[in-house]
Amino acid sequence: MNEVRIPLHGSGQSLYVAEEKVYPREVSGRFAKLRTLSVWALLGVFYVFPWIPWNGRQAVLFDLPARKFFIFGLVFWPQDFIFLTWLLIIAALTLFFFTAVAGRLWCGYACPQTVWTETFLWMERLTEGDRNARQRLDRGPWDANKLLRKGAKQVLWISFALWTGFTFVGFFSPIRELAGAVLAWSAGPWETFWIFFYGFATYGNAGFLREQVCKYMCPYARFQGAMFDHDTMVITYDKERGEPRGARKRGTDPRAQGLGDCIDCTWCVQVCPTGIDIRQGLQIECIACAACIDACDEIMDKMGSPRGLIRYTTQHALEHKPTRVLRPRVIIYAGLLSALGVGFVVALTMRSPVSLDVLRDRNSLYRLTDDGQVDNVYTLRILNKTEKEQRFRLEARGGSALTLLPDREYTVGSGAVYSLPLRVRRPAYEPLGPETIEITARSVDDPEVHVTTDARFLAPTR
Amino acid sequence: MSQPVTERAPELGHRARSIAAIFWSAFLAAAIATMLCFAFIDPEALRDGNPPEWWGSRLQVYALGFFFFWLVGMVSAALCWQLSRGAR
Repeated sequence: MNEVRIPLHGSGQSLYVAEEKVYPREVSGRFAKLRTLSVWALLGVFYVFPWIPWNGRQAVLFDLPARKFFIFGLVFWPQDFIFLTWLLIIAALTLFFFTAVAGRLWCGYACPQTVWTETFLWMERLTEGDRNARQRLDRGPWDANKLLRKGAKQVLWISFALWTGFTFVGFFSPIRELAGAVLAWSAGPWETFWIFFYGFATYGNAGFLREQVCKYMCPYARFQGAMFDHDTMVITYDKERGEPRGARKRGTDPRAQGLGDCIDCTWCVQVCPTGIDIRQGLQIECIACAACIDACDEIMDKMGSPRGLIRYTTQHALEHKPTRVLRPRVIIYAGLLSALGVGFVVALTMRSPVSLDVLRDRNSLYRLTDDGQVDNVYTLRILNKTEKEQRFRLEARGGSALTLLPDREYTVGSGAVYSLPLRVRRPAYEPLGPETIEITARSVDDPEVHVTTDARFLAPTR
Repeated sequence: MSQPVTERAPELGHRARSIAAIFWSAFLAAAIATMLCFAFIDPEALRDGNPPEWWGSRLQVYALGFFFFWLVGMVSAALCWQLSRGAR
């Protein structure tokens, strides 16, 4: 086997030195399959979801111009902001939990950076060929072949990036109308801007920056180490088994030659998207994509050695100590996570399907009528968060019988806000002075749909 | 078999990387700030309060708000970078 010298960086090299371009070799195997599956699932969700219709509207739409979020059957309003915050906390804790148990699973399989880089790499392979062909092409002169291949790659990349930008904007502005507008070159200025902005970000991150995003831009990469302990699953090279590394003839006994199982073929380095050598131990650049495991397993199969020279294992296992999966940090993360998850679902189901704002008329305190009554004027805003049109009736409760003027039904469309003036009347001195009253909006069609809001009722004190 | 790869790819140096970090950290902060700010403030609701001339549709105010936060974040990150480099 010829000796292949692979430039390594990251370790022991100053940040001042320009990066060397990483040419990841294509890899096949268990973990590559898993990642491909994950890429398909996640990109599928991203590119397909905006097109799914639901009750005559887009199933997933974060309608910023209208200030409401639709997620299948649910409608969220700015008043529901707490749910978004809650969800983000759950997401963060999930990340912590999985990091503590199995390291950077997120990076290797689910991070958009990984997913889109994988897709861009696929397009690169399609147009420029495998690792060796790409390197040859980059070294070669700018002839017709190079121009054609590089040009084709750019066409694919740019179209895919723009499609990504378009889909992204489609989550915020109804995608079917947006598609029509884009085709007619009449999309709004901000929509157009964000399509290009996100398209450019996709192109830059997945086509150009790639592993540098993980190494220099990702906040998670910087703090994930804090969640690691000696029982965390990490991708490790088994030094004990592999060293001393060296080339050998197939079928010979390496032990007789004083060699370990590592044949120093450097495939693990060639497949690494961040260009590190896993044999130097766990490094911050490692995004746990397991490409080196797949590559090494393939070589081990060829050499007739058992798999797993590079494998998912724990520090403790490598030190021949027992690995504890259930340990305080895992239990705490899991406990918090399930409590928050259950709380989230409960709160979501108990969320009031209607909300009512009551604003006092600022121009007058109260008005006495000729027949010994007192009036207060309010502006009410009924917000129907249900998926159906509802007819609401209002009720008011206070220290004495309250009369509502007008006393009628209000029809509020699904997801609509209805503003109405309301005059509340009661005897002027019964009870004496101001009080707090309760105003209830209740659906005629579905009495379960109701909400009560307190309001201040002003009246003369003597 | 492949030759040793020796050429340098035109990628980011240290200085460019610092600038990228300034842009990027401010971008993240601006995204959070925009989300928080406009979750509680509806640009349309401020229309009654005689807004400035450039005030536009909600989308426009969101976008301008985002760029404002981004700019502020970049100023802060750049100052932080400058100060943390120490006196020379």
